[in-house]
Amino acid sequence: MAPLSSADTETATRPPRHREATLYAPLAGASARTALPESAPVGDAASLLAALREQALSSYEAAELPVWRRSGFWTTSFAPLDLAALEVHHHEPAAADGADVPLPQAAAKRLPERARAGRIVQLDGSVISVELAESASAQGVRLCSLEQAAAEGSEAFHRHYSQRLTSDRNKLEAANAALWTGGAFLHVPAGVVIEDPFEIVSVLGSAGSAQHARVLIVGDRASEFAVHEYTLAEDFEGQALHTEGFEMYLSDGARCRLAHFQDLGPGEVYDATTRVVAVGRDAFCHWLPALLGGHLVRQHLELAVTEPGGDMAFRGIFFAEDAEMFDMFAVDLHEVGPSGGDVHWRGAASGSARASMEGLIKINPGAQQSHTYLQIHTVMLSPKARIDAIPSVLVSADDVSASHGGSVGELDEDVIFYMQSRGLDRTAAVRVLVEGFFEPVLGELADEPLEGVVRAKIAEKLAAARAEIEAYAAGR
Amino acid sequence: MAELEIRDLHVRHEDLEILKGVDLSIDKGEIHALMGPNGSGKSTLANTLLGHPGYEITQGAIIFAGQDITEAEPHERAKAGLFLAFQYPVAIPGVSIANFLRMAINAKRDEPIGVKEFRGQLETAVALLDVDRSFTSRPLNDGFSGGEKKRAEILQMAMLAPDIAILDETDSGLDIDALRTVAEGVAKLHKSQGLGALIITHYQRIFHYVTPQFVHVMLDGRIVLEGGEELVERLEREGYDQIRQEHGAVV
Ligand SMILES: Nc1ncnc2c1ncn2[C@@H]1O[C@H](COP(=O)(O)OP(=O)(O)OP(=O)(O)O)[C@@H](O)[C@H]1O
Ligand SMILES: [Mg+2]
Repeated sequence: MAPLSSADTETATRPPRHREATLYAPLAGASARTALPESAPVGDAASLLAALREQALSSYEAAELPVWRRSGFWTTSFAPLDLAALEVHHHEPAAADGADVPLPQAAAKRLPERARAGRIVQLDGSVISVELAESASAQGVRLCSLEQAAAEGSEAFHRHYSQRLTSDRNKLEAANAALWTGGAFLHVPAGVVIEDPFEIVSVLGSAGSAQHARVLIVGDRASEFAVHEYTLAEDFEGQALHTEGFEMYLSDGARCRLAHFQDLGPGEVYDATTRVVAVGRDAFCHWLPALLGGHLVRQHLELAVTEPGGDMAFRGIFFAEDAEMFDMFAVDLHEVGPSGGDVHWRGAASGSARASMEGLIKINPGAQQSHTYLQIHTVMLSPKARIDAIPSVLVSADDVSASHGGSVGELDEDVIFYMQSRGLDRTAAVRVLVEGFFEPVLGELADEPLEGVVRAKIAEKLAAARAEIEAYAAGR
Repeated sequence: MAELEIRDLHVRHEDLEILKGVDLSIDKGEIHALMGPNGSGKSTLANTLLGHPGYEITQGAIIFAGQDITEAEPHERAKAGLFLAFQYPVAIPGVSIANFLRMAINAKRDEPIGVKEFRGQLETAVALLDVDRSFTSRPLNDGFSGGEKKRAEILQMAMLAPDIAILDETDSGLDIDALRTVAEGVAKLHKSQGLGALIITHYQRIFHYVTPQFVHVMLDGRIVLEGGEELVERLEREGYDQIRQEHGAVV
């Protein structure tokens, strides 16, 4: 368990075997709250929110659409987005009983039939339905729009809202903080154990829509629950925007299984999302985002162990096709020790898709006895597809273990031939190979309905790439 | 016409001509042995018969079940009833033997195989190969020992019930008991299903369990000598030197 490096700050020299620093900086606990003027009235949820919105609005107005440039071929640019042409579309909410609102088509198509503890659905700018299982509400679980939580003066909202999210790092982050509507709020009280997942659904309804979604989840001491977030879009042509600020706080001994199914469809949909999960004392989070579609997807995903004994498993799946471009930054942050971590991402690209996956392990000074491992495995399904996997390790404590590994692959023709020789055609063989590739992570969802949803989407992507996968073979 | 007819087959890999005119006919129910020194082209022949894209046929033809399959896709050959037990089976991570077999069987059928029927077939094959039922839940060849890989190949063969199977050094790397199990498995399929086989090997021992009617010796991309079972004994005794001297220069 030799230390990898010893450095006081993240800018200090690192051992040469690690890549140059990532393009993106971790949030590392930064909060929009600390930038508020002393005079701002923040005594209750509503006024805190108003002050933070106002602050974010000036950042929003001052900034240009973000463009991130890395040396070489990579630029992530939101400049082509015609922001002025987009509007926040509002829809009528459900009747009071919330029962009869039909799901937006994209959600009806994706969401599995299953037992669930609750579901909140946002279409464009409006929450259109909220349902909560009797058993959950009887135990004090709160699931409602985030707007409502603020208006009601929720104590958990007041304590945690924007605790680990900033609003001035770029225009879209500021837009989200200033302009979000609807939103989802989930509070699971101390000791409450809920087996079935809560579903948080957002759908972009049409071209021209700007959706600023916001999620706050608080798991009190020793609570146990699961959250499945679905980020979807209808099938349309033209530009649309999804921004999201997602934060989850797990108190002492809380345990959560958190998964995301993200597929923003074939339209020219831009996704600028930041998600943070804070794992408290002896708490545990199993986190698995599955990023499966969007014209330009930029996601910052940060999991922080904030108290001793916190542990996590950070899994991820991505699959970019056609001309899609995904730019992902996954952070495994250890603020204190002892703490555990294990980051394992798997991604594929077909067509002329591009994907960049930066993974960062950051161990703060004094976070002794933190043990973590980061691995990123990728496979390119066409000669024009491109994936960059960039693992980095920043360690500022000496009694820790932190390392990374991974692989970059193409389709293994010998394996495909083996399967073909047993009667599978090439497309089926490739599907088996790609599904097998994702399986080590996918299987960890440990939730059959959700696994089915992710598998089906992967199969769709492969079917769409069929011609190209066959041409790739013929060209060899 | 025999079930499998190989006519004047010339095969190239990149710039290297490996097979230089191979003629060979195998009928259902026949056991053929193919022997030859390392690098003589045996595996190249086996892979080419199944349509490996890395091997280019520059001349000649492969006829199977009356159809010219020289240009056919590998999966079409498999569906037609040809099978190859690989010398070096590759791993398919994340896919269990049972699931893989179900896919392979369904690929040959219009209707997917019923759960019961499949389980019945699998149980029979598992018993034939003397493996544990749990073996079939393991990801195919992933972390398998050499012997386990070879058993898995023959297990697949038993399930897929081909007309003609090519066994590329299936006997290599097996311990004595495993060799007997595997070889007796082949013999049983030969007897019960009329399996025809081309057994590629370096050793005589597998033929204690399955008797070859025809023995072919390959040298430098050509079959230079053919005979019956007695040829195996001669090779065991003499090695290839004598044969090379007699036939090596023949064009
Ligand atoms: N994929 C390949 N790449 C490079 N060379 C190859 C390839 N396949 C075959 N060869 C060459 O062709 C020749 C025949 O190889 P092959 O594997 O067919 O021999 P073999 O008779 O099966 O040998 P062994 O008894 O060692 O298995 C060898 O010289 C080998 O190096
Ligand atoms: Mg060989």
